[in-house]
Amino acid sequence: MGKVHIEIDGQKLEAEVGSMIIEVADKADIYIPRFCYHKKLSVAANCRMCMVDVANLPKAVPACATPVAEGMVIDTRSQKAINAQKAVMEFLLINHPLDCPVCDQGGECELQDLSVGYGDDVSRFTEGKRVVKDKDIGPLIATDMTRCIHCTRCVRFGQEIVGIREFGATGRGEHMEIGTYIEETVESEVSANIIDLCPVGALTAKPSQFKARAWELRQAPSIAAHDCLGSNIFVHHRRGEIIRVVPRENESINEVWLSDRDRFSYQGLTEGARLLNPRIKRNGEWEDCDWQTALNLVASEMKRIIGASNGNDFGILMGNNATTEESYLAQRMLRKAGSNNIDFRTRRRDYTGDGRGSVRSGMNFPMENLDTMDATLLIGADLRHEQPLTALRVRKSTGYGKAMAINPFDGEYNFRLSNELQPKSNMLAQEFACVLAAADALRPESLNAEAKEWLDGIEFNDEHKEIAQNLIDGEASCILMGVYVQEHPQAETINWLAETLASVTDSDWGYMTQGCNAAGNKIAGAVPCQSAAGGKSEQGKTAKEMLTEGLKGYMLVNCEPDVESIWAEQALQNLKDAEFVVALTSFADGRVPDYANVMLPIAGCYETSGTYINVEGKWQSFAAAVKAPGEARPGWKVLRVLANLLDLSGFEYESSLQVINELREKFDAVGDVRVARKVPPPMMVVNEQETNRECLGLYMVDPLVRRAGALQKTPKASTHPISISRVKTR
Amino acid sequence: MKQFKQFINSFLLIELLKGMKVTFANMFRKKITVQYPEEKTPQSPRFRGLHALRTYPNGEERCIACKLCEAVCPAAAITIEAGPREDDGTRRTTKYEIDLFKCIFCGFCEESCPVDSIVETRVFDYHFEERGLHIMTKDMLLEMGRIHEDQIAADREADAKYR
Amino acid sequence: MTDFNYDQTLHLKNLLSPDAIAEIDGWIKKYPPERKRPPIIAALKVVQEHNGNYLTEELMQAVAEYLDVPHIAVYEVATFYSMFHLNEVGKHVISVCNNISCSLRGADKVIEHLQNRLNIKVGETTDDGVYTIKTVECMAACGGAPMLEVDKVYHENLTEEKIDQILSDIAAVELNSKEMSNVEAKD
Repeated sequence: MGKVHIEIDGQKLEAEVGSMIIEVADKADIYIPRFCYHKKLSVAANCRMCMVDVANLPKAVPACATPVAEGMVIDTRSQKAINAQKAVMEFLLINHPLDCPVCDQGGECELQDLSVGYGDDVSRFTEGKRVVKDKDIGPLIATDMTRCIHCTRCVRFGQEIVGIREFGATGRGEHMEIGTYIEETVESEVSANIIDLCPVGALTAKPSQFKARAWELRQAPSIAAHDCLGSNIFVHHRRGEIIRVVPRENESINEVWLSDRDRFSYQGLTEGARLLNPRIKRNGEWEDCDWQTALNLVASEMKRIIGASNGNDFGILMGNNATTEESYLAQRMLRKAGSNNIDFRTRRRDYTGDGRGSVRSGMNFPMENLDTMDATLLIGADLRHEQPLTALRVRKSTGYGKAMAINPFDGEYNFRLSNELQPKSNMLAQEFACVLAAADALRPESLNAEAKEWLDGIEFNDEHKEIAQNLIDGEASCILMGVYVQEHPQAETINWLAETLASVTDSDWGYMTQGCNAAGNKIAGAVPCQSAAGGKSEQGKTAKEMLTEGLKGYMLVNCEPDVESIWAEQALQNLKDAEFVVALTSFADGRVPDYANVMLPIAGCYETSGTYINVEGKWQSFAAAVKAPGEARPGWKVLRVLANLLDLSGFEYESSLQVINELREKFDAVGDVRVARKVPPPMMVVNEQETNRECLGLYMVDPLVRRAGALQKTPKASTHPISISRVKTR
Repeated sequence: MKQFKQFINSFLLIELLKGMKVTFANMFRKKITVQYPEEKTPQSPRFRGLHALRTYPNGEERCIACKLCEAVCPAAAITIEAGPREDDGTRRTTKYEIDLFKCIFCGFCEESCPVDSIVETRVFDYHFEERGLHIMTKDMLLEMGRIHEDQIAADREADAKYR
Repeated sequence: MTDFNYDQTLHLKNLLSPDAIAEIDGWIKKYPPERKRPPIIAALKVVQEHNGNYLTEELMQAVAEYLDVPHIAVYEVATFYSMFHLNEVGKHVISVCNNISCSLRGADKVIEHLQNRLNIKVGETTDDGVYTIKTVECMAACGGAPMLEVDKVYHENLTEEKIDQILSDIAAVELNSKEMSNVEAKD
């Protein structure tokens, strides 16, 4: 790309050929007012607010739709430009209601701000203003369409970013309205981004409707806790109550977007019945007590059970929102106390890969690269429902690249697939092996003898060959496995196949993980096979063994196995049968009170400091945004004190920072060690019954989301995205 | 000479008579003493006394929970919480409290109100008998508005041309 | 977008005659296959003709599914163009332009006269189902403002006499066709 030299407001600038004036001005921190222009969306040039004065042109031109040219001299503040902008503002205000005092956008409204600068104090328009009927578009977004200024950002967001066009502009001229098709509910899992995009108060957040004004809110940076991306967010709170969550720009993770799940899950903190005091069950009745009593009881019971069974009969299960600090302290405490039964993978069937692969779990390439892949192969990945924002990235790549899927279900995609295979759920590994066999045929020199022997006799067809060819042809290509694979009985085989296929076809590969901190939990050592930072450990019991075989004592850290685990019924029975169950939980509802003996209130998301390690291995620490209610304390503090009561040495941490620094040091000393995967045993056909169970629904993934009222009212909540009916069994 | 003048003045009680002149003059002048609390001094329509929340003639409360009064209050005496009203979903306050210990009666809340809801009435004589009563709740404020509505409306009317 | 739960009995093929489907297919062929939106206007036109001169929600949805475009895209087109009718209309739709040129030249009077003559308001249909008055956006005949269009014929430089003439012409045609049908019925 060539460069041109232009001048904006007397500032000499160099710009790329083909860029628009507004882009260059934004980079140079010269503000040009705008409504319809957004850097992530296409140029519509329909608000005309960004008029600027270009020398030698007879009229002011829109900065968002005028490409720069050599020697252009632009004035954004000349009389001509300002007159044009003022005229546009007058037109915009003709039909905009004067209801700022009741509008949720008031105080942070682009139109309000700019009308202070460009609007007149008195309107010359004496005719009646137009009124537009409000649309009911679901429980997340409140509409007030009379306020709409038709910038069409929401329409373009649906069309370009999400790929599902739910909004449109109907009617014409003065009768133009933004709406959905005959009042359809908006269904997309990233729909609420239009709240941020809307420059006026036409689209606002329904759950926080009328709750607070922009100037009352305090802002705390944090990390979203519901998928493995670790989206950056701001928590907006007022007087200790979280009012809303908005995205924090991070180009390499969430860009400027946020999934609805991350945005509205905070509701669970107030809508769920919070546990405010430590509670002990005595004779079947719950009694509030103080921390000392509760912790002493837990410590003595732990000592008793671990002592009596040589560590075999006590286990800790970590939940999906557990921070790395909590996991690290829990495993360290447990291992020091003499047991290795700790796990967070309550939805994993295949543990044969334990101790192999890398220390951390996840992707081996930066998420950003997904934008520019020439070929992306999805294996058992329902990106839209698991990591909604990655689906947006893959969609971006399909502008020029290819996306392929081997999914044993009717996936919903917001991008075009060039190849799609739908094996039966128990034949996923077999189908995938065919692709590897095809790749091997195309590039016979890259596999070793052992792998070739393994592949012997696997036949492939043209479709498999095409997929392999696409991966080979793509300059940048990747294989991405979804959560479904990690829950599959042949997970390890599929992982090996992906790794091998990646090496044959010169692709990147990685897998998406359940929960927000699978990588962190694994690095922290909350797995039975390795201690912190991949350290050696005797093999303990896995989550499957703990939940299906039953233990005498359980500790649940923000975990509800009766809902989350794939052995939910067995788990519930075993938990009920156990001698002692201590639950570190934020909530007093659900079924935990049925089986727990002690409930310890811990701080929920945004109430505790901590660290999440995302799927690419980024360590992201955050501080508590608000204080936990009642007697609830951050989980790491509870675990630390409990370790003290167990008379274990080396638990003198005073802040979560000390905990994470200790782990970080250990991890940096060894690095992300990779142990080569073994060639798996010959392929066995697994029983169909073993595989075709439900995946965890979009709004079911963790205790917080399950209690978020508005999300539970959305159409997406009522159906499990991949349910029995949708999984292929024919 | 000066001493002599002084002597004459004090001997003839001139100073005293001068003083008594004022006394007697006032004795027959119209009285300005007000027999509070039976009588009260006149007040301006702009008088800033105890607060009230007004309602429309149909009984609908005026306040729309825009929170401008809360924002403008220099003493941070106003606390508002808001949300959609149960029955019709309109924007209303769920809590509207004024701490009378903090309030400095500056009248900014009244000026900032876009719907003439929060006003200051002519009531200035009040007392509290218990701790906690100094916080005027929404119900108390609305009741104030109902009781004094005629006076409030008349005062706004009188002052309208200067606003 | 393809709706997985789409009721197949509402498929366009079940709602229209094979000839009409063939006509729509002909339009689809005129555009490259990856361009799905251009045939919307043509398809809606065909559908409207076959459905007594108006569109229903059901039909618009069927068109969207048939062309594989979002529902809203069809809805946008149908609401934008004034030649598509979303409610049942009369046999003769009188479209009066009320944009700037026509307004300055007395479109309001034209509309008022029409309303008085037919005894209906804009957007309504006469009880006998013969006339509908509709106001539309500019039809590119500003030179002859004020203007109206009825039965695909432009009438420009309107005066009250001219409007009366147009209405009586339509009435004559109507009477004629009624007699014809009566004659046919007798035969």
